[in-house]
This record gives sequence, structure tokens and C-alpha cells, in this order.
Amino acid sequence: MLPKSKDILGMNARNLIYIRPNNLKSAKRLADDKLRCKRVLKKARVPVPRLIKSIKTQEDLDNFDFSTLPNSFVLKPNFGFGGEGILVVYGRKKGNENIWVKANRSQVTEQHLRTHVKNILDGSFSRTGTSDIAFFEERIRLYPGFKPYAFRGVPDIRVIVYNRVPVMAMIRIPTEVSGGTSNLHRGGIGVGIDMATGVTTTAIQYDRVVEKSPNGLLLSGIKIPQWKEILELAIKAQDVSRLGYLGADIAIDRENGPVFMELNARPGLSIQVANQEGLLARLNRVEGLKIKTVRRGVALSRNLFGGEIEDEIEGLSGKRIIGTVEKIKIIGRNKKEITVEAKIDTGAGFTSLGLELAKELGFINTIIAYETIYSEQGGWDKLKKLSTKERSLLFKKVPYLIDTAIIHSSHGTTYRPVVKVKVVMDKKTIPARVTIISREHLKYPAIIGRRNLKRFLVEVK
Amino acid sequence: MEDQAYSSLVEIAVNYGVPISTVTLILVLPIVVTIITFFRQIVGIKAFGIYTPAMVTFAFSGIGLQAGNLSKGVKYGTAIFVMVILVGTLSRILMKKFRLLYLPRMAIVITLVSFATLGVLIAGGAKNRTGLAEVSIFPILIMITLVEKFVATQIEKSSRTAIILSTETLIISIISYYIISWQPLLSFVKQYPIIILLTIFVNIFLGRWTGLRLIEYFRFKDLINGKNAPKK
Repeated sequence: MLPKSKDILGMNARNLIYIRPNNLKSAKRLADDKLRCKRVLKKARVPVPRLIKSIKTQEDLDNFDFSTLPNSFVLKPNFGFGGEGILVVYGRKKGNENIWVKANRSQVTEQHLRTHVKNILDGSFSRTGTSDIAFFEERIRLYPGFKPYAFRGVPDIRVIVYNRVPVMAMIRIPTEVSGGTSNLHRGGIGVGIDMATGVTTTAIQYDRVVEKSPNGLLLSGIKIPQWKEILELAIKAQDVSRLGYLGADIAIDRENGPVFMELNARPGLSIQVANQEGLLARLNRVEGLKIKTVRRGVALSRNLFGGEIEDEIEGLSGKRIIGTVEKIKIIGRNKKEITVEAKIDTGAGFTSLGLELAKELGFINTIIAYETIYSEQGGWDKLKKLSTKERSLLFKKVPYLIDTAIIHSSHGTTYRPVVKVKVVMDKKTIPARVTIISREHLKYPAIIGRRNLKRFLVEVK
Repeated sequence: MEDQAYSSLVEIAVNYGVPISTVTLILVLPIVVTIITFFRQIVGIKAFGIYTPAMVTFAFSGIGLQAGNLSKGVKYGTAIFVMVILVGTLSRILMKKFRLLYLPRMAIVITLVSFATLGVLIAGGAKNRTGLAEVSIFPILIMITLVEKFVATQIEKSSRTAIILSTETLIISIISYYIISWQPLLSFVKQYPIIILLTIFVNIFLGRWTGLRLIEYFRFKDLINGKNAPKK
């Protein structure tokens, strides 16, 4: 076994562990029945494309007046699968009632539509090959942000939901080879999405990594609008459909925002390649959790599976991520450099150095002179009665002292000397005014406080 | 073969007039289907389900017996197989223009395939390849029905998928054919037919196998190696 292969969900495990026990027959039947899905989802206030007309029988077809159809619509087989048998019409031919135009500018006549409906009724596109229902629904209008990437179609977002947590997502973009459908096996492009930010990561076509779209646009870094709503819709759809292992397909309409397209009871495995991560590892992390609310599910997903968030924030703010304990270098007097482990403490304002470290950095005379004056004056209890100006006059002659500071902490208030050093953290050199701590025991020889953390984000583990 | 020892079960069947060739076919069927499940679950080769590759295996076997030669079974079998797929594809492309309903369209495709098959048989006879000309109707019918699977897949999935699945079917069928033509195995099943029931346990194991399939190691190889992993 290869090291990472245990994280990957294969066909056998998907079928046996996830689909079989979690997607019961009744739920699968609902997923396959697009019209019933529409009704059930709509009732649960999940937005779906509006139904224009459903045609159940030959009689329905004979009685249907095609001129009542709007200028643009989609004709679908109710039990169709894999995007088969779907006809998308973009507009009516000018001056002609019953001729429409497809995305590739070819014309569709009423006769075409009738034959297509009849083929659907005969079950040519249904999963089981038995008779089917045809229906017309409203066409989703392309969200302008996706326009440069999509070829004659609307991208949709596939979210895998398990145990009320969205575990992985990708956006599927129609291409010229896929003929305007977003099915990956037909040559559509799949781009992984970071769950925390809704920003795209790696792109694939035919299970192989690609960087750019066919027209040369970079596919990573696309921001999906209304990401939180999309995740919420996906969880709601799981609740309604009772598909324990769900592939939720959601499109974004130019005006209406996220619209739920389809429930998928047997979502494919390529999403793992698009995200460059195994599904099994993620599924295991949410196994057995009790997720009480939709919002909790979204929050958990974004926290657990936001792998790229670090890069993302660095990219946006120019800030770097550091841990709570970091190896840093301090440059003291005469360019004396010492490397120590420092505690990164956002609770502290000042950066502070321990006595020993300060001595090594060349501040021994500073410390001796300061301590002498400090004890002569009778310690902080006496000093605090003086004004700031009087105090600074007292310590004026201490070598290399640039200031003094009153530090309030859980140990009480202390009065400390302040000196100037340089701190090198994560390859960045920061000039810092630091206090020297003499009377407290320190676990780390240095504490980096907020004042010197402006260019960093601290990751709490 | 005459002095081969039969188990009492096979003996009874033969004594009641069941041809020994039929008994053998029935006994090797569980082996063939187990080979096919193995290819699906462990290797990841799909083919057209379980029925089609099993039938094509027997078609090969039938042609091989007729020709009296193991490799001729593969040769003629593959020839007919490829011809059926080719003519099936061509006629489907032709049919596209007519916008016909599914069943009538399929009926026409099968008609054309039938005639093409007859042509191949005649051509075989003309070139004195009597083995090809004399192939019995049973394997030929199997091959012709293959076209429905093929065309249905072309319509439902894509031509690419249909060709991949056909190739996979051909590979599995050839392998199964060689296995079930292996004399020691044939003698064995006639001697101990009960052992065949062991395939049930093999299939229980295969049915609970949740590991990655062999081809999935290839499909996800970049993922496993972390080749395109996002830089951290």
C-alpha cells in the first residue's frame, strides 16, 4: 500500500461503505426523479429553476401549444442521467413564433422539439429505458463572473455532503469538447474549491491537472460568489432528500443567485483529483459527529477543510502565518546575534527579553545601571509616585536605555527598562523596542508581543 | 478424455442424457463469472457488466471447439467481435440523420450487422477458412446481440466509453476463454463439481472488498504521490 492511498475513496469503498448504507432506495428514487425533487426542494425553500410545463403522455404532447413557451428554456427528461437528452434553447428567432435558437446558433423548430419530447416519452434517455416524462424549465442565466471561463453553458458547483457537513466541492465548467455540458467524463473542466473561502484551487480535465482554461485563463483563484449560501443549500438538500452521501449540484443564476439543480446519489470520484486530496480522509473526520444546525455544518466544513486558507490570507493581506512558538533571531548591540525559541503572545503588548538573554545581547551595563537606580529610589512602590517626566530624568544616564515601561500583567505591575534590538522572524527583520524582565521566571527567553506582530497572523494550534 | 473420472453428480447427469459438453459449460460458468467479478472489483476493468463478457467467452469457446483449435477461437471470435462493433458504429452514424426512435433505430442497426456477419462468414468460406464459415449460430447470435450493448452505451455515455468497454469486454473474454479451455481445470470440475461452490466464498470476499482497484492506483497516482499537491 502506498502511503497516501488510504486517504483516497475508491469505487468499491464508495459503493459499499457510503452509498449502500446511507442512500436508501427511496432516497435514490427521489434523486432520479427530477420533477419530484423540484417539488420537495421548493417546499423546503431551496430555490430551484421554475417549471414551465411537464409532458407526461402523448396526449399531453398533442395538446401542448408550443407557442406558449418562453424565448429561452431547457427541455429535460425526468429520469435522464449524465446530462443526456437535455436541450437548451437560448432565444426565439426574430419574427418567427415557433423557431428557437440553440447556443451553437443552430435552429430548433417545433417539429424538432416534438420529436425530442417523443424520444423522451419513449424512454430513450431514461436510466431504465422505460417510458419517461419530459419537462420544460426556466434556463439559468450565466453569472457574469463565470462568463470568461464557460463555453456555451452554465458552470455548476458540486458539493459532496456527508453527515450534514460539506466535505469537498468543485466547480464544473463546460468546454467546447464537452459540448456545453459540465459533465467531467465528457471533457468538462473540474476545479477544486477551498471549503473555507470558496476560492478555486486545482483544475482538471479528463482526470489530469490543467492550469488554464482552453482560452488561456488561469483557473485557480476564482472566487465563487455567495459561497456560504451554496454550502447551506447543499446541507438543506441533504436534510430534505435523506441522501446520507449526497452530491449536490448548484448553479448560480445571474439574478437569483444560487439555484439548486440536481441531487446526485452516486457522485463521482474525480472531485478528489480536482482538489488534490482524498475524500476518505475527509469523510472519516466527520464520521459520527452530531451536527445540529445547518450553520454548524457550514462552519465545521470551513474550519476542517479550508486547507488553502493560509496561502489565501497571505496573498490578500501580505501577512505571514506563524505559530505560537517560533524560532527567532535577535540582533543586539554590536550586531550580536542570538537565536532563541520565543513565545508569540498576542496577549502582551511589548516584546520582552529575559535577563540572561539581554545580558548576552550586550545590555549588561544597561541592566546594572538601571537596577542600581531602581533600588536607590526604593523600587516601584516609590517610583510610581513620581511623574513620568521625573522618572525619565532619573534614568537618563543609563547606557543604551531608550525608555522605561510600566507593564501591567497577571503578576502585578512592573517597571522595566526598554532597549532597542532587531528581531528576525520568518525571514523578516523588524526593529523592536523591547523590555527586559528581571524579576519573573520565564519559560521562554523571549516573548514577542503585539507591537511587533503587525506583519504576521498567529495560528493557534 | 474417455477415461476421465467423473463425479457421481456428473455421472448422473450424463446417464440421464445431458450432453457432457453442456454439463461442462454449466460447471465452468461460475468460474467465468467469478473471473469477471475479480476483474471488476480488484482490477477495475468494467466491461459490459457480467452477462456480456460471460456470453462472449462462451462464443469464443464455441467457435474454438468448432474450429478444433484454441487460438482459432480467439482469432475468428475477435474478427467477428470487431466487425460487429465497427458495423454497429457505422450504421449508428448513418442512422443519426434519420431521427428515429430508439427501438426501430436499433432494429436497423442489428439488421445491418446481421448482413455484415453473413458477409464475413461467406468471405471466410471463400478463402477456405472453413472454421469460420461453419461457426454455429449460437456464438454468432451472441456477437450480434453485443451490438445493442455497444450502441446503447454509445448513446447513454459516449463513443469513447463504448469503445473502452468493448475492448475491456474483449480482453476479459479472451482471458476467461483461455482459463476455461485449460484441460486440467476442465477435468477437475468434472471430477469435483462441488468445489465450484467455493466461488461463492470468493465472491463474498470480493463483494466486501473496499480497497482501491488496481486502475484507481493509476487514476489517482498523482494524488498518491502528492505530485500536484498545493504548496504549503
